Amino acid sequence: MKPKLIFGIIAIVGFTSLLMYNFGNSISTYVNFEEADGRQISHVIGTWDNTQAHGFSRETLQFTFHMKDQDGNVRRVVYPRPKPNNFEQATQLVVVGEMRNNVFHANEMLMKCPSKYNDPSQLEFVNAEES
Amino acid sequence: MIATLGNLFLSGAFVASLAAMIAYALSSAKDNWKLEKISNWLWLTKGLLLTASSGALIWLIMTHQFQYYYVWNYTSLDLETRYLFSAFYGGQEGSFMLWIFCSFIVGLGLIRWTRDPYKAPVMFVMSLTQFFLLSMVVGWDLNVTQIGASPFRTIADEMPNAPFILANPGFVPADGTGLNDLLKSPWMMIHPPIIFVGFAMMTVPFAFAIASLWTKRYNEWIRPALPWTLSANLSLLTAIFLGGYWAYETLSFGGYWAWDPVENASLVPWLLGTAGIHAMIIQRKSRRAHKAALFFAILSYCAIIYQTFLTRSGVLADQSVHSFVDLGLYGQLLTFILVMTIMGVGFYLYRYKELPSPEKESDFLSKEFMTFTGAILLFILGFVIIIGTSSPIIGRFFVDNPTPPDIQFYNVWSMPIAMVMAIATVIGQYLFWQKHTWESLAGVLVWPLLFTSVASVLSIILGDVTNLYYMVYIFTAWFAVFGNGTVLLHLIRKNPKLVGGTVTHIGFGALLLGIIASSVYTVPLLDQEMERYNQRIMAGDVFDDEGFPVTQRVDMFQLELNRPKLINNRYMVTYEGYELSDSPRPGQQYYVLRFVPIDGSQTFYMRPVVYPMLTSSTPDNIEWSVDPHVRTGWTSDIYLYVAGSRYVERRNNELERSRERSAGMGDSDPSEEDDIRKIEIKQGETIAAGPFSFTFIDFRPAGEEAVPENTQIGIRSLIRVEHTPSGSAYEIEPLFAVYTEGDRSFIYSPPLDIDAWEMSVLFTSIHPESDSIELTVFGLDEDFEEDWILVVAEKKPFVSVVWLGTFLLMTGFSISIIRHWRREKKMKE
Repeated sequence: MKPKLIFGIIAIVGFTSLLMYNFGNSISTYVNFEEADGRQISHVIGTWDNTQAHGFSRETLQFTFHMKDQDGNVRRVVYPRPKPNNFEQATQLVVVGEMRNNVFHANEMLMKCPSKYNDPSQLEFVNAEES
Repeated sequence: MIATLGNLFLSGAFVASLAAMIAYALSSAKDNWKLEKISNWLWLTKGLLLTASSGALIWLIMTHQFQYYYVWNYTSLDLETRYLFSAFYGGQEGSFMLWIFCSFIVGLGLIRWTRDPYKAPVMFVMSLTQFFLLSMVVGWDLNVTQIGASPFRTIADEMPNAPFILANPGFVPADGTGLNDLLKSPWMMIHPPIIFVGFAMMTVPFAFAIASLWTKRYNEWIRPALPWTLSANLSLLTAIFLGGYWAYETLSFGGYWAWDPVENASLVPWLLGTAGIHAMIIQRKSRRAHKAALFFAILSYCAIIYQTFLTRSGVLADQSVHSFVDLGLYGQLLTFILVMTIMGVGFYLYRYKELPSPEKESDFLSKEFMTFTGAILLFILGFVIIIGTSSPIIGRFFVDNPTPPDIQFYNVWSMPIAMVMAIATVIGQYLFWQKHTWESLAGVLVWPLLFTSVASVLSIILGDVTNLYYMVYIFTAWFAVFGNGTVLLHLIRKNPKLVGGTVTHIGFGALLLGIIASSVYTVPLLDQEMERYNQRIMAGDVFDDEGFPVTQRVDMFQLELNRPKLINNRYMVTYEGYELSDSPRPGQQYYVLRFVPIDGSQTFYMRPVVYPMLTSSTPDNIEWSVDPHVRTGWTSDIYLYVAGSRYVERRNNELERSRERSAGMGDSDPSEEDDIRKIEIKQGETIAAGPFSFTFIDFRPAGEEAVPENTQIGIRSLIRVEHTPSGSAYEIEPLFAVYTEGDRSFIYSPPLDIDAWEMSVLFTSIHPESDSIELTVFGLDEDFEEDWILVVAEKKPFVSVVWLGTFLLMTGFSISIIRHWRREKKMKE
């Protein structure tokens, strides 16, 4: 019984540590553009900088825009897909990709949109009716 | 009025569930049969009150009472009746009510079919969970704290500080904001109810496990609990399947599975429930594994609440495409999970010493050991997925502000576990029906192994598999199919009623095959130009406007109207235009693409859709959404959507112009009106105008019927109009006639329309002195471009096998449910 129990414990501890080690490696932390330099895959949170040109080029087939991260760094971001539908509404963007030559190449882009559920200003578009 | 009643009913149900819980607890503690009767009545009362309350909410939705937040938030006047009904569970509060309702029905079944001594404690646990679930929606304001969020709260309750509420507390919006467009789908009507039926039934094994710990009767609970657990699993599996199919078919998520937290939330309880079923089967057949059966029964319900907590408390808000709105239920949900887990696990540990344990260990080659291995493997897989899904919580031990794990985390861990499972299913199934030694096992496995090898080699050659790891995976998956298939053939001859488990295991093997084929071997559909472009990108030869190298593959292609392109060396694909439609969604476009396979097989059409999202679009800004077209085939599917089109681009430009105008940035734009152009052209000459060119080929005689009466001259000219960039051209014959009426002469030159270019051409004059004619052209657009679309398409092999595997799993579960249920009934009689 005893050696079996020890073996079982070793197996469980070994498996769990391997799992947690791998889990720790497969998650990362959100960074800003400066920290993203030199990393392989970075997640950057920020907002769209609409003072600079943006748009989808039908020649390079890329969507290009500038994004300001949470620490105020502005970088050009390229995204190899058409402009996401709700891009302009997004209050926050998360880009996942790699920084190269000071340009962020996003493989994935997540948009956090103002939740219409919590935004009472939305109501003003609805015709008000006295009751 | 109705809302007040609804709220009252809800409070009543909450109180009744508390009363039922206490009454059931007392009746099981004192073994009081009379008290149990009363408790059953309380349960029924609670259920009826809840049903009445749900009815009230549905009534408010159906009658469009937008002063109620829930109604305003999830519905609108133009919503079809069937979606009005499903909007009932479209939000967090309503979905809780649906869950409670399903549990109520399950409770009625338990009252009817469960025997003493388990009945009272089982119902106590059921009432306890009901009490917690009802507390989420009861909406009591206790000054110090708020309990739950009532679906009957008004807009004024929800947003007391909004300016329009301060100005007019009785404000009633004329229309609601409407159900999210993505939820307006027939799938939305059946997917959530099936999930909640599964959640409700998964409470039953948990309740039985607690009841058996309470009554210290550790053996008999398995019999009634097993059919319930099997049914819960069938429901969850069906719901997972529907969700995956929905995501694949109508949402543009790109596939049937994405390891999204909400998807995982239904998978983990299913895996743990299945682990529980394995343990219960050992206990039923061999009177072993009591501990495991209890443990998994407790754990699978804890998994349901834990995943509910993750998706509903706002913890995952940033990570999932479909987590719920945060209602501030964090504390309550946390209490729920803690109470259930501590009660379940605590009680289990408290009784642990007393639990029956086998006198001697099982042999390695025994059905007990192998079935138990299956349970453990399922548990490990569930554990891995829980770890991944919990990254916002567990990740904090590693980094601040953790991101979700890379998708590879799930793939890397689930693949080897699945491979071991596949082998274990075969050995387990052989041992389950017959005793075997290593020698005899090797003997019976000769044929299955032979078939497996042939099938694997064929798959590897035909599928061009080069990765060694995938080769092994494919081998194990085929082994599960053929090994279990052989067992199935034996069983069918012996006793066809017993095939449930075997069919399930074959389905698992098929599922593994389908998953690898459809995920790893998915290829993008591209034209030759894009393929070359991608090769140049990979070689580092492509630079963007600002001179930076382009490094990412571009997996889409562009089609121009009526200009076929060769795609993947297999299809000639032609974009044949789009059709605007207002049904079911105003402003949606159906694009038509013709696929002609060059090997001569049947031509087919793909019809993807782009539509404006009603709920999030405003008059000066449209958000577009896509509805992909999936062409399903036995060997492969084609998945295609339109990522961009001239129509959408033009609409966006128009909106932007109108926004700029209203913002006062640009003044009125007069250039659009004076787009009349006169062209003087000689016979045989070609004149360019913007992107178009006009060629005057020849004169043509005009027929009598086309010209007015008293015509002196009537002649047509043959004109060829070409759109130079695309090369598409039209030949037209505009008419020029001079006729007299009274003593005056008039010129008659009817316009000829070229619809595709929104242009009309008139033959307005003849200049005999210069031997030329004059054409007048309306609507000549200098910036005109031919209609185009941008297409993203993929070819996914053998998605059909994924569905086949899922159906086999469902069939197997159904067979087992019927068998166990029948046996239970017989025993009762």
